[in-house]
Amino acid sequence: MELKNVIAKRSNKTIYKSNDKCVKVFSTDFKHSDILNEALNHQRAVETGLLVPEILDVGVVDGDKWGIVTEYVEGKTLQELIKENPDKFDEYLEKFVDLQLEIHSKKSPLLNKLKDKMARKIAETSFDATTRYELNMRLDSMPKHNKVCHGDFKPSNIIVNDNGWYVIDWSHATQGNASADVARTYLLFMLNDGEEVANKYLNLFCKKSDTAKQYVLKWLPIVAASQSVKAIERERDFLTKWVDVVEYE
Amino acid sequence: MKDFIVNSDESLQELLSRVRAAQKKYATYTQEQVDKIFYEAALAANKQRIPLAKLAVEETGMGIVEDKVIKNHFASEYIYNAYKNTKTCGVLEEDDGYGYMKIAEPIGVIAAIVPTTNPTSTAIFKALLALKTRNGLIFSPHPRAKKCTIAAAKVVLDAAVKAGAPEDIIGWIDEPSVALSNDIMKEADIILATGGPGMVKAAYSSGKPAVGVGPGNTPAIIDSTADIKLAVNSIIHSKTFDNGMICASEQSCIVDKSIYKEVRQEFIKRGAYILKDDEIDKVRKTILINGALNAKIVGQSAHTIAALAGVDVPEEAKILIGEVESVELDEEFAHEKLSPVLAMYKANDFEDAINKASKLIADGGYGHTSSIYLDESTQNEKLDKFYHTMKTCRVLVNTPSSQGGIGDLYNFKLTPSLTLGCGSWGGNSVSENVGVKHLINIKTVAKRRENMLWFRAPEKVYFKRGCLKVALDELKNVMGKKRAFVVTDRFLYENGYTKDITDKLEEMGIAYEVFSNVTPDPTLTCAKEGAKIIANFKPDVIISVGGGSPMDAGKIMWVMYEHPEIKFEDLAMRFMDIRKRVYTFPKMGEKAYFVAIPTTAGTGSEVTPFAVITDDSTGTKYPLADYQLMPNMAIVDANLMRDIPRGLTSASGIDAMSHALEAIASMMATDYTDGIALKSIKLIFEYLPRAYENGGNDMEAREKMANASTLAGMAFANAFLGVCHSMAHKLGAYFHIPHGVANALMLDEVIRFNASETPVKMGTFPQYAYPNCKRRYAEIAENLGLTGKNDDEKVEKLIAKLDELKSIIKLPKTIKEFGIDEKLFLDNLDQMTEDAFDDQCTGANPRYPLMKEIKQMYLNAYYGK
Repeated sequence: MELKNVIAKRSNKTIYKSNDKCVKVFSTDFKHSDILNEALNHQRAVETGLLVPEILDVGVVDGDKWGIVTEYVEGKTLQELIKENPDKFDEYLEKFVDLQLEIHSKKSPLLNKLKDKMARKIAETSFDATTRYELNMRLDSMPKHNKVCHGDFKPSNIIVNDNGWYVIDWSHATQGNASADVARTYLLFMLNDGEEVANKYLNLFCKKSDTAKQYVLKWLPIVAASQSVKAIERERDFLTKWVDVVEYE
Repeated sequence: MKDFIVNSDESLQELLSRVRAAQKKYATYTQEQVDKIFYEAALAANKQRIPLAKLAVEETGMGIVEDKVIKNHFASEYIYNAYKNTKTCGVLEEDDGYGYMKIAEPIGVIAAIVPTTNPTSTAIFKALLALKTRNGLIFSPHPRAKKCTIAAAKVVLDAAVKAGAPEDIIGWIDEPSVALSNDIMKEADIILATGGPGMVKAAYSSGKPAVGVGPGNTPAIIDSTADIKLAVNSIIHSKTFDNGMICASEQSCIVDKSIYKEVRQEFIKRGAYILKDDEIDKVRKTILINGALNAKIVGQSAHTIAALAGVDVPEEAKILIGEVESVELDEEFAHEKLSPVLAMYKANDFEDAINKASKLIADGGYGHTSSIYLDESTQNEKLDKFYHTMKTCRVLVNTPSSQGGIGDLYNFKLTPSLTLGCGSWGGNSVSENVGVKHLINIKTVAKRRENMLWFRAPEKVYFKRGCLKVALDELKNVMGKKRAFVVTDRFLYENGYTKDITDKLEEMGIAYEVFSNVTPDPTLTCAKEGAKIIANFKPDVIISVGGGSPMDAGKIMWVMYEHPEIKFEDLAMRFMDIRKRVYTFPKMGEKAYFVAIPTTAGTGSEVTPFAVITDDSTGTKYPLADYQLMPNMAIVDANLMRDIPRGLTSASGIDAMSHALEAIASMMATDYTDGIALKSIKLIFEYLPRAYENGGNDMEAREKMANASTLAGMAFANAFLGVCHSMAHKLGAYFHIPHGVANALMLDEVIRFNASETPVKMGTFPQYAYPNCKRRYAEIAENLGLTGKNDDEKVEKLIAKLDELKSIIKLPKTIKEFGIDEKLFLDNLDQMTEDAFDDQCTGANPRYPLMKEIKQMYLNAYYGK
């Protein structure tokens, strides 16, 4: 397999285009179980009937490196499209929310549980014990649902072509409360695109799904804590502010 | 005292087993021992109120030392004072007459969740409650306040142990985590959860009983009639208390527009800081983050919070007030703020104020507390409206809500507590301030007690031949009656039976009117007709003359006369116990005295509280029963019975027999009714054949039968009847078999049915201890001089003697022989069975009949055995 045409590069993975395939190659310190888990999540997403690139292979792809091979989907990411056609933003946002709602309408009983994942993330944060206690208490009281949640749903994870809107990167997928997934997307918008876009998104989602905004906001301290695990310095103060809240007593 | 750190599942299990062992021992302590421990523990906590307050502020960085001193003081002194004399061990109440005891038992081990806002006072409070109720307790402190909570727990534990409590009666988690909190909640016997909604929810989902409380969002209405100085200063006093960290604290005040300016001025004058336009927005963004309370502002001073928001206020500013308009959740000021930050609204009128308060409570304070300031002496209507509308478990009037809500400080009867129940509105199991009563199990020991019974009869029963005139004399000479209404049937009237009576009335100068239209099985139409005449005539005495029908009709007319508004459906409502009936029978005798004069020897109606009336428009029979229907006077004069035809002598005679027999078998039979019934039976066996054979030629037999009938009436008026009458009633209704004859047809079956010593079901009545009806029938036989080698033989001889009597007086032996068509009988059997089962008489029967048993008795009675 020829791995020359780099599409994207992250700290511990590189994504190539190889003929009509897309190859995601992980660095050698990446746990193989995590790679298999990502592939498994991805395949489960495929099996829900959503428009998701097919998995073709998982295993050693480059010397001692593991990777996931999927079909290559031609097209532009939604993020690119928004940049090119800022006037069509509202239209894109509508479809973006519809697509997220469609994902939430799916069931995949064997996917990891969202609350388990969040509990793990809280444990990995650098907040003090009191704050983690508050976060855990908050998480504990959240409803347990079983909707498919992408976990990193944002315009750059959507590829648009004539066939439709493909959703990629299912590494954070879980099943759980859709509001947590929405809170996560809201946070990503807030971090990357600013308050105005984030609020526009949230209002639209709440309107379309008939969800109370407070219901989504309740998840923000938790998703902010989970995001803080990535330890991105410029996000730090912002996330801390979102995390340091208390429940009424 | 525990000598290890609880920070894991294993160490928690170890702690739990120690606390359990200690509690098991503590459960055996007496009230005296417990009260001593409670006293010493409260005293020790009280002494440590200042060090503990300092520690709490130091560790949590929230609140005010001096105010926490008050809270600790409250938690020890007020709680001690409230419960020092409360019984929490052993027998709480006892009454041997009613045969009951109430006994307090501890619940076991309490899991106590303690919040950061009141970390020492709540700990003292819960520990003291546990000690007073002989429960063990394990604290799950908040990580932010674990040191001071544990310190408070230690103070109470040390003093308790010193005063004699088992070591380890109180324990705690040293390194709290959500997992350990959840574990202890699952393991404990009850949870006392004070804390945020997350914790309270976890408590309720643990599967263990939980007494949990939730958030408040107390609105305070300041009405136009309020004492403005009192209102404003109370709110400031409350809102600044421990920097606003009491959950009952005011979160907003809603001020009537007519006094808004003055209220605002008073707030400013007393040191509140009213935020200016852009400052409001800055504080908004500081107090709430994404709808959740910013941890940094909780329990901080107004100045600190303002500084965080970038607003410059004087160091000594007491509270920050945001003048806002929206009561919706997207207004930050509409939330609970746990700090000296207050929202202020302007209300157009009282209605508007109430609507705003309701919405604020719905926003996040369901079930907690609401507060109002008004002129209590003149504004009852407003107060009524307020407390009806508020979905809160505490409604405080002219009171600072922090100090008012915890009880006993600013009021008398609100239980002092640091755990304020929010009722179902707040998702709680308790709507009061939590106290010792929520931490004990109360056993009620209920001993078997028999119901009170009485014996009722008309106040006067005249008897002996010729007594009629003497008795009637009394109406005039003793009672001074002026107007008499005589009820009878056409036959009696036309044959002069009422003439003696009316002559006597005339002689005495009592005006009278005679109603002679009573038909057999009197109808509502007939009763109404009579009632109409009565209403016009306005008698002060009603005289019923006749057999059962005129007497029943007379009773009904009497009811209609006394209570024209009455509904017969209500009067006829079935009851299990005549003294517990749903319907209260109206009082009788206010307008007229009721005299009953029988002309047959059978119904006993002259001395019974019963009457049957048929609604001829629907065919429904209303059997009425209430002691209010008891005639005031009965005149039993055999001279009126001289010419009773044979058939009637036999049918009514056997009816009296069945009354006496059922009164003896009844579960409600008493020594008083037994004697009367036994005598009645004996008289009937002796004199009924003579009266039947000789009629008016044997006036001795007539008189004895008259007495026997009235005696049987008295017996069943008090002991009631049984299933024989239930079945006879329906035979009469379905096939027009005369009442006495119908009873005679069922008698043998019922005696055998009741005599069983292993009935499928026995009747339910405390007096009726075990199935003993066979003995009762045997006693009748013995009283008649019948002998046998055992009770079975005696009962059979009784039945044989009854059969002999029935054949002498020419009664049919079977329903078939009476002439009821077999197909007609069988077609109606099932419905008739169900109706008989549901008859009012069934309830007193000593054997509770199954429907199939009734059906079988009917079949046996139809075909003969």
